[in-house]
Amino acid sequence: MKALHLIASLAAAASLSACDITGESGGGRVDTDKTIDYGQGGRQKDLSQLVAGIWVDPNGCDHWIIDDGIEGYLSQRLDPYGKPVCSGIAPPNTATGPYKGNQTINDPI
Amino acid sequence: MTVASAAVLGLSLVATDAYAQEGFLGRLFDNGNGETNERYEPTIWVDPDGCEHWVMDDGFEGFMTPHVNRKGIPVCRRGNMCGVMNTDQFFATNSARISAGGRERLAKFFKETVATSYIIVGHTDSRASDAYNMRLSFNRANSVAKVASETGAKIADVRGLGERVPAASNRSAAGMAKNRRVEIICIR
Repeated sequence: MKALHLIASLAAAASLSACDITGESGGGRVDTDKTIDYGQGGRQKDLSQLVAGIWVDPNGCDHWIIDDGIEGYLSQRLDPYGKPVCSGIAPPNTATGPYKGNQTINDPI
Repeated sequence: MTVASAAVLGLSLVATDAYAQEGFLGRLFDNGNGETNERYEPTIWVDPDGCEHWVMDDGFEGFMTPHVNRKGIPVCRRGNMCGVMNTDQFFATNSARISAGGRERLAKFFKETVATSYIIVGHTDSRASDAYNMRLSFNRANSVAKVASETGAKIADVRGLGERVPAASNRSAAGMAKNRRVEIICIR
């Protein structure tokens, strides 16, 4: 059982360092600082610096969308009363604006 | 993380089973019931409207959700409320018809404001019944929306909240006057 542990952990170490190469320097470690943007290929920034675009859902309502190169973020756009904002800025099922503005590494996806 | 340092970690895991259960790989390869109890403390991202969202990046995935209070109201550092009309200046008591001068002022506002679309929200003071006030505030909001549409502005939503969301106390005349209002939210 202990030998199995070692094999598993070494495999994990190998896969983690592979992630490092692709720029995911957080590497899935636990107990890390969750407030840092790890999707920057080593140039880590605070998450407060993210730049968003708008994704329009099938009902026509807005969500903030951010693709920092590795991670994706999506959060609802709400008006001062907590209701969805359906601005009509773009047709449903469309992403618009600088939602890939944070990318410092090439993300073909 | 380098392979070498991970290998050292791996060896220490073999040495102490307790660490394997509680520590780094213990949680990464949780093969029990899948439960973990790791600290996920978010930071705050402020959207272009000025409202806060909780955001976290655990190194593999990113997570985000709106920061709302326990009543579901978003926590914002500034609002996108761009105009509050005192209805006394635009409507007669109990009426949803806008005066000619009022229409002109409103049209000017919508022509000069740059926004993708608008949300129009009517409110009343607490006199008369709740149902009556819900209807009056909605009719007034609709009248404002109609003027906006005529100037080419896009309306995202029209609402009447009656006396249910007061801006001030209804115990004084000044408070009631403040509550008689139509709010214009600018979506940019």
